[in-house]
Amino acid sequence: MTTEAIPPVSRMRTERLELIWEERPGLLGWLTTVDHKRIGLLYFWTTLVLFGAGGIEALLIRTQLAQPNEHVVSPETYDQLFTMHGITMIFFFIIPMTTGAFGNYLIPLMIGARDMAFPRMNALSFWIFLASALFIYTSLFMGSAPNAGWFDYVPLASKEFNPGRNIDFYALGIIFNSISSTLTAGQFIVTILKSRAPGMSFNRMPLFCFAFLAASLGLLFALPALSADTIFLFLDRNVHTHFFDPSHGGSVLLWQHLFWIFGHPEVYILIVPAFGIATSIIPAFTQRKVVAFPLVAVAELLVVFVGFGVWAHHMYAVGMSTISMVFFAAATAMVVIPSTIQVFAWCMSFVTGTARFKTPLLFIAGFIFMFVTGGLTGIMFVAIPFDQQVTDTYFIVAHFHYIIFGAAVFPIFGGMYYWFPKVTGKLYYELPGQISFWILFVGTNLLFFPMHIVGLLGMTRRVSTYPDGLGWTAYNLAETIGGFVTLAGILLLLGNLFYSYLRAPAAGPDPWHGPTLEWTTSSPPPDYDYAVIPRVSSAYPNWDPVDRELDRRNLADGVLVLERGHEQPAVTPVDARFDEVVQMPHESPWPPILALALSLVFLMLVIGRYGVAGIMGIFCLLALAGWHSTEPQEQ
Amino acid sequence: MTDYVAVPRTAGPRLSNSAGWWGMVILVASEATLFGAFIGTYFYLRFRTTPWPPDGIPKPALVVPLILLACLVATTIPMSFASRAAQAGRLCATRFLIAVVLVVQAGYFAYEVHDVADQIHRVDITRNAYSSIYYTLLGADHAHVLIAVLFNLWLLMKLTHGFTTYRLNAVRAIAFYVYAVNVLTIVVFGTLLSARA
Repeated sequence: MTTEAIPPVSRMRTERLELIWEERPGLLGWLTTVDHKRIGLLYFWTTLVLFGAGGIEALLIRTQLAQPNEHVVSPETYDQLFTMHGITMIFFFIIPMTTGAFGNYLIPLMIGARDMAFPRMNALSFWIFLASALFIYTSLFMGSAPNAGWFDYVPLASKEFNPGRNIDFYALGIIFNSISSTLTAGQFIVTILKSRAPGMSFNRMPLFCFAFLAASLGLLFALPALSADTIFLFLDRNVHTHFFDPSHGGSVLLWQHLFWIFGHPEVYILIVPAFGIATSIIPAFTQRKVVAFPLVAVAELLVVFVGFGVWAHHMYAVGMSTISMVFFAAATAMVVIPSTIQVFAWCMSFVTGTARFKTPLLFIAGFIFMFVTGGLTGIMFVAIPFDQQVTDTYFIVAHFHYIIFGAAVFPIFGGMYYWFPKVTGKLYYELPGQISFWILFVGTNLLFFPMHIVGLLGMTRRVSTYPDGLGWTAYNLAETIGGFVTLAGILLLLGNLFYSYLRAPAAGPDPWHGPTLEWTTSSPPPDYDYAVIPRVSSAYPNWDPVDRELDRRNLADGVLVLERGHEQPAVTPVDARFDEVVQMPHESPWPPILALALSLVFLMLVIGRYGVAGIMGIFCLLALAGWHSTEPQEQ
Repeated sequence: MTDYVAVPRTAGPRLSNSAGWWGMVILVASEATLFGAFIGTYFYLRFRTTPWPPDGIPKPALVVPLILLACLVATTIPMSFASRAAQAGRLCATRFLIAVVLVVQAGYFAYEVHDVADQIHRVDITRNAYSSIYYTLLGADHAHVLIAVLFNLWLLMKLTHGFTTYRLNAVRAIAFYVYAVNVLTIVVFGTLLSARA
């Protein structure tokens, strides 16, 4: 609801809400903030910097491979580059950009809430994320960055073959980061279950929220396998246990099983939020509801669920029994069903709606193309002999980059354009936006498509160089050119948004006539998100004018305004019946303090000062005690 | 769709569990999955090694761990009563019952720490894969009992100043955590004692 042209009594109420929800200005305000929008922006800027770091690593890799027998970087540095590139893009860019930035900013707005269910924990998840990123990048500047690939197979990662601190940084950095991701996942699940506007039953919840619910459930149940794996690795390397040591009853394949029990659902965790972005953009630019809403909602959840049963298709080359391989091949084939349901629903929405190919929708169209292409090569892995042939070749690299860059990053770019007016209050310039899309589309296809061919020609991944005369040179050169074209597209995109922020005209609350609740509030949204908790009677509440009129009347009448304190309603989890009004915590210094204490624990662990780490652990407990010394109603 | 003429602070009796309780469910789900990975690892290693435990390592003791386990699991009853007493607004009963749980948990933890130290003296964690997973599982479980002790200690301190909605929610959430730790301990001990079969 806009604050313009409202009756004096309504204005008085919004002014009171502004006073109640206003956060401290300046640096201290950002350090102690618990506002989901500010935390979303903190995630956004941090992950953007990390995307830059991962991108530079990628370009160094491509420069090294542009020609045969290149020596731009040493083989040791190359190992660190491709490992850090993978870790950065997966753990420090896509997950935190989608869940941390988009999710934090948008989920409460979309469900009609004023904040997350646990605002201080939300802040903690950001500070831990930032600390874990600094922790792992410290290793790069120390020359001890992880160097055994993002999946870090043993025995290469064991102390015997990797005696430096590189892998310790990997193991501890991943555990550290997992704490942040688990907090974020739990936060989203509880927020979606408990903080929806009264009346927003599951069948009225936006598909974006279903996608984030699916991704959060995936994170919650996938991350512990990775945590267990990395705990074992750290113990093997530093306490001399034998989890992965076959000579003492351990198993190197144990690492692979646990890693991929996490790793394959992780792929869906990466792309399902992107599906959510797509299902937000498509109705706005086709001006129709998404086709087959219930099926798409179920498919978003199902794709993550089925994703837990396919991990061993990453391990066909390790000598498993045929029956095991066939089982996992069948499970892999099943993933096609929920994926295809969504693709058909998106395409039918395009066809049956009135598509306006503005920049966000172009990115979604590009995403569908890339996802289908990557999906088609993915389905080829169901053919076990083919999978065994291409294992560890560039064909695999091509496949997962089509999925991860094409299907996850393209919607992120589309989402950046789509919600730019909401976050900044400014429109963006359309023509440079469209040009940036086409440059990125051409660049990424030039970058990743030839990888299929060099992979089939036998080029293995993770080689730092290759001899001349193998027929790989032209393809590699094309890929490198594609990499730099992609960079140009990204720079144009960011430049356009930056320039638009400075110069473009005001957007108003709803420039796209978007379907979901965030388009009913001002741009950028006020600290309290909504002056009145919105009435919801469909999954497209901004297209329900009667409800919006009722909101305006409610504000004037003081109904569901909750202007007595830092309050928001809590509802029943499934049908969203009003349950109670809850007091929300104010800004707090404890989340960054706790994250700092936790960082010191991990820093001490990586240098082997376990006693000091224990003392730092006590500081963590003290920080927690400080955190809980004040209850929300006492603030 | 419900219409609201005015907003009540609550809709009468609570219709569903609080966000804090749901948060605890999420924590327990995550921890249970972590233990699932540990227990899966135990059996993965076990099925690749004969005999189990490997030669030279005694089978885990049965009687004392089972008695201790029974004591720990019995805390479910006073914790459950504490939760009900809190919802009924009976402060003294709540504090007393939580104190009982705390004493039993702390005693259990202290004995187990002593016992593990004694076991490590005989067979240390670096002997082989069996000892590695054995102590990891045991250590992780004991760490969770310690967390339950700390939760209850914090709760008792909070309850010295009476009830608030926040503290009532905390009692229910921590009660759930205590139940979960008790179930987890049964599963962990069942897994470790299966080596006797």
